[in-house]
Amino acid sequence: MNQPNEEFQDVYDQLSALAPGSEDAPRSAAQMLASVKRAAAPRPNPIQNLIRSFNMTLSRRATAVSLLVVLLAVVLLSFPAVRAAASDFLGLFRVQKFATISVSPEQIAVLERMAEEGLTPGEFEIHAEPVEIGPAPNLSLAADAAGMPAVRTIGALGEPQEIRVMDGGSGTLTINLEGARAIVEAAGVDPLLLPDSLEGAEVNVTVYPSVQQMWADEVVMAQMPSPLVEYPGNVDTTVLGEALLRVLGTPADEARSIAQSIDWTSTLLLPIPQEAATYREVIVDGVSGVAFDSIDSSASGLLWQKDGIVYMLVGQDGIETLLGLAQSLR
Amino acid sequence: MFSRVRNAKLSHGNDESVTILTDSLLLQRAAAGDETAFDTLFYRHYDRVYGLLYRLVGSRAEAEDLTQEVFVKLYKQFMRKRPFSSNPPPHKHNISGWLYRVATNLGYNAIRGRTRRWQRDTVLVPDPQGTPGAEHEVEGRERAAAVRAALSQMPQRDVQLLLLRQTGLSYAECAAACEVAPGSVGTLLRRAAENFREAYQTISGEQPPAADR
Repeated sequence: MNQPNEEFQDVYDQLSALAPGSEDAPRSAAQMLASVKRAAAPRPNPIQNLIRSFNMTLSRRATAVSLLVVLLAVVLLSFPAVRAAASDFLGLFRVQKFATISVSPEQIAVLERMAEEGLTPGEFEIHAEPVEIGPAPNLSLAADAAGMPAVRTIGALGEPQEIRVMDGGSGTLTINLEGARAIVEAAGVDPLLLPDSLEGAEVNVTVYPSVQQMWADEVVMAQMPSPLVEYPGNVDTTVLGEALLRVLGTPADEARSIAQSIDWTSTLLLPIPQEAATYREVIVDGVSGVAFDSIDSSASGLLWQKDGIVYMLVGQDGIETLLGLAQSLR
Repeated sequence: MFSRVRNAKLSHGNDESVTILTDSLLLQRAAAGDETAFDTLFYRHYDRVYGLLYRLVGSRAEAEDLTQEVFVKLYKQFMRKRPFSSNPPPHKHNISGWLYRVATNLGYNAIRGRTRRWQRDTVLVPDPQGTPGAEHEVEGRERAAAVRAALSQMPQRDVQLLLLRQTGLSYAECAAACEVAPGSVGTLLRRAAENFREAYQTISGEQPPAADR
């Protein structure tokens, strides 16, 4: 440490009266460092809060199971309706619509037991994890950073208080046929519905960069190009969709009927635990979307897809308020 | 980038050289996501940042809060990718200058937020009766209050320079923190010291004991 110039020693002597004494010593550096890192950690935004409120109604194990279910949904929804002639043909799946299915607490318990038995549909390897690129000063730069031609905003709310850009991510699921069949069988479905060709099949999932805008009262809108799934194209997705619905607890005849009415090549199934949220179909931004309310009334959300972009609008003042805000999209 | 330092204590009696990473290199590593580099920077500057803020605000709790805020800003500024930032790359920063500048600004903002706190301190002296050693403590508090009152009448940069220098920063670090030319620090310090002496004399009615005035 440099010693102060003696020319001003009288002044420094007086200033030393302000120095902290032993009783004014701060908390330990290690404690302070831990506080700094906690405070610097990204604050969960309302979208994350909503997801958390979904998960809070489930046990930790059940949460893992629900993730497994979502993963299974991705796998099963990733196969085209039309069988391809060549087994190594790669098809593309992009989310265009959403379908929801309520999962009962009893079925969650069934899924828990599956998890306890270690049943998984395969190995999922993450190649690039979505991370935050950073805050953006305006929507134009956010669009550039996210690789989107433009970013839409809620006109009624004015300038967003914060604009954040998240990087994309990607991963590959390598299917373990034995595990996938065991899951299906545990749900009371004929395991041979899953063909032998599924063994070792790879499904590549790509999530693109997204832009999140935040306003007062924790209103948040996120938008991102529709995720892309590349898959081998030799499976009857209607049959697999039916199997998935059965795994999620839908009675056999109902599952068959629903499976045949859904275009599985473009519809993302959202399994929603009954104890976490209620949902309904709504018209938003001129298209069909899904609205949901968390059971604890802490958050509501809208989810829709338009022109290749998936949108999510979340707030605390209920679905009707969000639908009103969505009318001012520009 | 590296300072090669021989340090008998660190080498436990062996004639080993110990490599100490400069702030600049630590910052570069921190910006690349190296948490350990950030930790090292934190440990290196924690005491002095707290000391500076305590001198400014005069309260342990408030100084701790502000110290945390300084390092949170440092973390957010340099530990996250900021593609839209117009800031120069991390290695172009004088990190100690940045830290003490931010600390001083936060300290002054806190003081402005509680208007006339310094003046209030000059009269809010606890009743010393019945407290062992109270006379000495009261004297210390009165002196501190007078010093704060004097500082409150001086320009921010003068106070900043005096406190930074008294805390032990080099002229170069003081210059970086106050955003002045290193060559002007001596002159500015001299002027600040004169301002302090005058203000202190006005408030306390006494002159600081002159050293080499």
